[in-house]
Amino acid sequence: MRRFLADTLFRLLLWGAAIIALFPVIWVVLTSIKPPELSQALPPVWDFAPTLQSYRDVLGGNTYTSQAFGTLLMHSLIVTVASTLLGLALGVPAAYALARFRFRGKRGTANWILSTIMFPPAVSVVPVFIFASKLGLTDTFPVLVVPYAAFNLPMVIWMLRSFIKQIPHEIEEAAMVDGASQGAVLRYIVLPLLMPGIVAASLLSAMLAWNEFLFALTLTRSAAKTAPVGISEFTNMYGTQWGSLTAAATVTVAPILLATLVLRRRLVEGLTFGAVK
Amino acid sequence: MTVVRTGLRARPAAARTRSTPSRRALKAWGFMLPAGALLLAMTVVPTLYLAYCAFRHEDLLGPNSRWVGLENFRHVLGDPNIWADALTTLQFVALAVAVEMALGLGLALMLSRKLAETDLLTALFILPLGVTPVVSALVFRVLLDPAYGWVDYYLQSWGLIDQPIDWFGEPFYAWTAVIGLDVWQWTPFVALILLAGLQGVPSEPKEAARLDGANALQLFWHIILPFMAPFLAIALVFRAIEAFKTFGSVFVLTGGGPGTSTSLINLDLYRIALQNFDIGAAAALGICFLVVLSLIMGRLLAVLNRNTDILED
Repeated sequence: MRRFLADTLFRLLLWGAAIIALFPVIWVVLTSIKPPELSQALPPVWDFAPTLQSYRDVLGGNTYTSQAFGTLLMHSLIVTVASTLLGLALGVPAAYALARFRFRGKRGTANWILSTIMFPPAVSVVPVFIFASKLGLTDTFPVLVVPYAAFNLPMVIWMLRSFIKQIPHEIEEAAMVDGASQGAVLRYIVLPLLMPGIVAASLLSAMLAWNEFLFALTLTRSAAKTAPVGISEFTNMYGTQWGSLTAAATVTVAPILLATLVLRRRLVEGLTFGAVK
Repeated sequence: MTVVRTGLRARPAAARTRSTPSRRALKAWGFMLPAGALLLAMTVVPTLYLAYCAFRHEDLLGPNSRWVGLENFRHVLGDPNIWADALTTLQFVALAVAVEMALGLGLALMLSRKLAETDLLTALFILPLGVTPVVSALVFRVLLDPAYGWVDYYLQSWGLIDQPIDWFGEPFYAWTAVIGLDVWQWTPFVALILLAGLQGVPSEPKEAARLDGANALQLFWHIILPFMAPFLAIALVFRAIEAFKTFGSVFVLTGGGPGTSTSLINLDLYRIALQNFDIGAAAALGICFLVVLSLIMGRLLAVLNRNTDILED
């Protein structure tokens, strides 16, 4: 009986918290399928015929904003994929060196790499903005891809290092004994075993790149403008267009949300740096 | 070559000695070089450039760039608003992280109790973590709008308030909104890490303590909490780091207002450098911010080092 009461209490608290956690998400989806003319009505309209009008408006560019939102999503996708791949290409060898080699200055280097995670983008955006202007690189993909890869590197390297340390060293030694080079060991032995770590690191990297706002706001105008900047423009001098805003928000957030849900165990493994076995 | 290989096959542990220590070290640095170069280019190079700009008046468009000595530092550090915003930043980080740790721990403890729907609930609680921060800021802004927002409407229609609350017109309410947004977005991050920690607490010590007559509080304090220390440290350190980097969500939600009551240093940097184009002053402020942050980062790394072994070789 006491157990039942306790369970019921926990249930109430948990579901209450879940409703708070979910409400903004539900509101976004609900408002995005409302007929646009009802979206802002007070008292709120709960009984309506769902429509995809807002999605058509947003993706087709039939809004007050200058560009079709589909174009911005494509920009976001390009920047996200490129920066994630770049971060992994640089991060995997570095993580391997930090996990498997012994050399002087290793601990200092590793701690320096981790401490660069503290570097606030609001500080680095100023020099990057000036350099990019002088080199004529503003509003191009590389000016976002390279900084995003750099932001992610400390996290990628530290996560992958902890994953590599969990791979038994004997497998690599056996391969080397059979004459495999260091590069081949990394490519054919470590990389396949590292897949869970790579998935976690990729997801976190992709989330950062997909969601980043400050660099995209500062360094792009239109040719490389990303979705978060585009969404923020649905509140402008014409007021907030709730239908467009929420439809754009739904298509922007959906991929990351799904990936987070599906890969949540990998995510936890990565975020705890192998502290969970 | 064949001879060497046969020799190694006989003694696998000797594989390490195949190349001399210095050659291995060289190889290690080769693996590190590309990543190290990019990190240097995105942290050290900008810092050096800012340090250079901090002593200059930078005229981006005209020919009037010149050395001004400590003028920028005097200007920035003599501005009471900057000191107020530094305090705002510290308050924001401390308050947001404290609430997230407390709620995250509570949530993790509740989720660690096995109910039929625990997995479903855990999945639901993760959702805010995946929402683009700018999007959640916009959604909060729309929901809290005094004229059209649902929050004021329902609070009024349920009789909880008489007048609509002007969420972005009064510092107290603006702070509530800013902290509320950060807590909504990031508590799942803390809860997820702490839940992983709780699930790793071995059952034997718990059983033993229970047999010895420990109550729930004693069990939590003496058995569970020590096992949780690494996870608490990881959640705390990484939440604090990310909180210091907050820009987009506050920029979109309040823009630092009303007045400068929710203006973080990051917002000041953006305003000074990219709206007023006073690069020298922004550089001086950026350098000061970096100095303070590196001191804080040192403390945070010490916390990680004391409580976890992730910094070990």
